[in-house]
Amino acid sequence: MQRIIQFFVSIGNALFFLGNVFFCALKGRIRWGEVLKQIYEQGIQSVIIIAMTSFASGAVLALQGYVMLNRFGAKEYVADLVALSLVRELSPVFSSFIFSGKAGARMAAELGTMNVNDQIVATRALGVDPIEFLVVPRMVACFLVLPGLVVFSDLFGIFGGYIIGVADAGIQSSTYIHQTLRAINYVDFFSGFIKTLFFSVAIGWVCCYQGFHTKGGSLGVGKFTTKAVALSYIVVVISNTVLTKIILAFWG
Amino acid sequence: MIKVANLKKSFTGQAVLRDISLNVAPGELIVILGESGSGKSVFLQHLIGLLKPDSGSIEIDGVDITTLSERKLLKLRKNIGYLFQEGALYDFMTVYENIAFPLHEHTRLRLKEIKEKVLNILKLVGLEKAGMKFPSELSGGMRKRAALARSVVLDSKILFCDEPTSGLDPKKSKEISDLINDISRRSKCTTVITSHDIYNSFRIADRLVLIDHGQIIARGKPEEIELSSDPKVKEFLI
Repeated sequence: MQRIIQFFVSIGNALFFLGNVFFCALKGRIRWGEVLKQIYEQGIQSVIIIAMTSFASGAVLALQGYVMLNRFGAKEYVADLVALSLVRELSPVFSSFIFSGKAGARMAAELGTMNVNDQIVATRALGVDPIEFLVVPRMVACFLVLPGLVVFSDLFGIFGGYIIGVADAGIQSSTYIHQTLRAINYVDFFSGFIKTLFFSVAIGWVCCYQGFHTKGGSLGVGKFTTKAVALSYIVVVISNTVLTKIILAFWG
Repeated sequence: MIKVANLKKSFTGQAVLRDISLNVAPGELIVILGESGSGKSVFLQHLIGLLKPDSGSIEIDGVDITTLSERKLLKLRKNIGYLFQEGALYDFMTVYENIAFPLHEHTRLRLKEIKEKVLNILKLVGLEKAGMKFPSELSGGMRKRAALARSVVLDSKILFCDEPTSGLDPKKSKEISDLINDISRRSKCTTVITSHDIYNSFRIADRLVLIDHGQIIARGKPEEIELSSDPKVKEFLI
């Protein structure tokens, strides 16, 4: 019973934390200099690994898709398969996972270390709101960086599929490009993009909250950082299912 | 003027502060002595509103800070310097940036003026050559001096120091105690220090307060405390 109460208390605390962040951001208390630093750190840290993963995902999708579609004499549709799968589903989810593992873990570990070394409480003692100084810039950067990374991931994934489609499956380059452009419409793009906006807030929230409430010295930093990444994976997976259902119901 | 009346605080049912009352006059330097775990640091964190008491009041210049919201406390803390036990310097900033941080946050000084002020205070604490170093590159004593510089850079009229000499050798302890004493006297600020460093506390304090298990067991001028016949006080001073 006590565990259930504790669970609801921690949910309440986490929502209160998010409310504070939104309150600061909506009041315009955003330190853009800090946001730019975070954009640089979070973006640069994730961009290479996201490019590599997306390229490989697009290539594998094209390889598998070609084997299946070739049986029905429809190998040109590999381009459709790759583009739609990536843009609607795979890029937002995979990129969010990678972002959470790299930038999310970094945020949680940084804030966690600051907390166990009294730097967060020192911020309060210096008369500065730690949510405004430390959390809002990280979450705003998350919100701005992740959608950009997902667009980047879409492009690299499609490029991976294109290389396999043209070089391995023997589809003409112009045909592949034409099929890709024909396959994706704005609904496909925005259904993935809107999910990404949600994921970016969720990852920033979960990782910053865990970091901000880290205790127990260096062991605690490890424990809370791992928890932050695991929780953000779960939040992404569950919210992706719900959002996909909602988007399909409205947009098809 | 700081007035603490009937302050009580418990954590998970365990009483840490039991009915503490204390007045600190403007410009006075008080050292709160006590063993580890006696409640000194918890008491100091209450004085700046980092912890809320279960009951009792803390008045700073006539304002009961226990009733203030966090936003109002943030404003109040601009006028109070607080030195943390381990310094709590931002490890992603250089010493210079750490000291300049409160000036950027709470003043409208120009960059040139900030630079001048930071360089002056670095000189005062003997760290003029360490401005561009990161806290991780400093020794324990240097970190404490840098943290002290950050806590007094706004010329606050109140200074709280939590165990400023802990973890330092006797020579460094004497240096940091003298530095706090010097800064405190020079700026005529009301200073409350927690410590278990008996030698240096007796040297610099106007008044000493002894805390044991969350209760004040003795208070007075160093010479009065020294002559106390209370067995608990005697035991602590041995």
